[in-house]
Amino acid sequence: MKRALYLLSMLLLVSLVAFGCGGEKKEEKKGEAPKAAAGIKIGSLGPLTGPYAADGNDIKNGVLAAIEVMNPEMGALGPVTLQAEDDACDPRQAVAAANKLINEKVTAVIGAYCSSATIPASEPLIASKIFMITPASTSEKVTERGMPFMYRTCGRDDDQSKAAISFMTDHLKAKTVYIIDDKTTYSQGLADNVAKLAAAGGLKVLGHEHVNQGDKDYSAVLTKVKAAKPDVFYVSLQNSASAAPMLIQIARMGIKTKILAQDAVYHPQLMELAKKDAEGVFLTFGYTDKETPSYKKFADAYKKLGEPGAYSAYSYDSTVAYLKAVKAAGSTDPDKVKAELAKLEFDGASKKIKYKENGDSGSNYVIQVVKDGKFTNYWNPENGQLFAK
Amino acid sequence: MEFLLQQLVNGITLGGVYALVALGYTMVYGIIQLINFAHGEIYAAGGYMGVILISWLFAQGYPPAICLGAALLLAMGYCALLAMAVEKVAYKPLRHSSRLSVLLSALGMSIFLQNGLMLTQGVYDRAYPGEMVQGGFEVAGAVVSYMQVIIVSVTIVLLLALNLLVFKTRIGKAMRATAQDKTMSALVGINSSRIISLTFAIGAALACAAGIMVGLYYGSVRYDMGFVPGIKAFSAAVLGGIGNITGAMIGGLLIGMIEVFAAGYISSEYKDVFAFIILIAVLYFMPTGIMGENVDDTRV
Repeated sequence: MKRALYLLSMLLLVSLVAFGCGGEKKEEKKGEAPKAAAGIKIGSLGPLTGPYAADGNDIKNGVLAAIEVMNPEMGALGPVTLQAEDDACDPRQAVAAANKLINEKVTAVIGAYCSSATIPASEPLIASKIFMITPASTSEKVTERGMPFMYRTCGRDDDQSKAAISFMTDHLKAKTVYIIDDKTTYSQGLADNVAKLAAAGGLKVLGHEHVNQGDKDYSAVLTKVKAAKPDVFYVSLQNSASAAPMLIQIARMGIKTKILAQDAVYHPQLMELAKKDAEGVFLTFGYTDKETPSYKKFADAYKKLGEPGAYSAYSYDSTVAYLKAVKAAGSTDPDKVKAELAKLEFDGASKKIKYKENGDSGSNYVIQVVKDGKFTNYWNPENGQLFAK
Repeated sequence: MEFLLQQLVNGITLGGVYALVALGYTMVYGIIQLINFAHGEIYAAGGYMGVILISWLFAQGYPPAICLGAALLLAMGYCALLAMAVEKVAYKPLRHSSRLSVLLSALGMSIFLQNGLMLTQGVYDRAYPGEMVQGGFEVAGAVVSYMQVIIVSVTIVLLLALNLLVFKTRIGKAMRATAQDKTMSALVGINSSRIISLTFAIGAALACAAGIMVGLYYGSVRYDMGFVPGIKAFSAAVLGGIGNITGAMIGGLLIGMIEVFAAGYISSEYKDVFAFIILIAVLYFMPTGIMGENVDDTRV
């Protein structure tokens, strides 16, 4: 009897595991081809677990899609394989993962997501002459440290904050703004930039609050925002899973202020979690023309990996850029590839890719809005015009 | 005034949730002097069970009130069984070992359950069906959402039920007796093993209810959602005087209030700091917590 009960208990515990009916997609393992001695080994770095897992997996999937597209073209240099590492968006784990990738003899690393992970991870990688191309870390500091093998495919936060300010003052004609961030290198860096530029642009900052990373309850700080009655509420959070509960609580508290967020909250998950409360939220995000042949090629290759997230296309382009440079150089020798990468220019899925001397590829931020559950282009700071449609 | 009132509403909601989770820590500690680290994970499992049940019931077309009620009861039952299973597998075999081994076993169980949730439910946030509870009303300028009303009323009902159970029934008497002296209560015919199991089950059911309501309130659950509230609720239990049921309720409410008011009047950046400063201050002047009696270690 006792033994039976014990077994039954064990079974119940295991039942927790058996509740696989959750229907979440299982990790895609197929793309990781068996280890080959020859060929090109690319590493990917990003948070595969923890609060930012969705974004990390987007980066990994972007690399997988690019490998699939580029593999037939690589000829004798191939095949290209992926070693995906998890940095959990944690600086210490990022360095450990970078060291592991060095031991695995990868020649390039695509990643990471959080700027606070990219910066420390880049030190050992670049010291070993391994390319690091970040598809997602927008903090200026990433490319401003004079690192020879550091590249960036997405935009920069100083440009992003300029776009945000010009939208608030020129289009929304706002006089006051309330700023909130969650204290990461990226989110606070961006919020500080916006605060600095706001003062110069005649926009009054009514308050600048910091919440803790991963918080879910924002009721106290939102009560402050409500009392301050700003024209615009600028939300700088590290990702969509943090922004969704905030949007839900904003709606619940009856705050009618216009909300401007940034590129990190760009993810289909935002609408999935916040549903109709996400409607009407503005955000700054790099402009991507989804009608170009290169975007369609990417979307085709990505289809079986799920819906592209914020940085899937950037991650795909980063990988394609590196592989194109390797192909042109005829080897993975870092110096030769670097010379080719400097010459490289092509139409990527996300935008036209051309790396500058410091590794940046330029920013092209526009304002998007959530409309009918979709991110839609809204306003272009380049010409101060609304997008057609 | 409006601001104060709004923060009060926010604080009561948050505090109610902490109180529900804190009770599980305090009851288990009261009866076997174990800090049950796996308790936060039971809360997370409850949140997930809630998502699964509510989504399913909602898809069948039942009205929201029935979905919520049925899911709450079923999930509480599931969590109670889960906690009893945890107790049987991880704690009972160690009943006569040192306290440290049981503590380690609890830590291991916590990691096991959290990873179990991660592996089966995925690393992404899972959303509750959004159309469940909408809207609210205004009192003197402070917005009170219906969801907050539900959280507070469910909390009050559960707390009253628990008080009745512990102080007015035979089972409650047996629980209190076992907490006071296991050997003696066994001598007078109380099945202490069963009472311990039951204590785990009741604590888990309360945490489960909290998990579901938090999931509904914030719109989503994640596999690691139990960790931080677990720590806060544990602090609440210590603040109120660990082992004391009324203390856990008061401690939970206090921690919730301190957090909200620190965020509202000082800075949201330091809200956790203030919660723990108060905890340390209270423990400095009242080492056994607000409601704590003098702990007599000989009874262990």
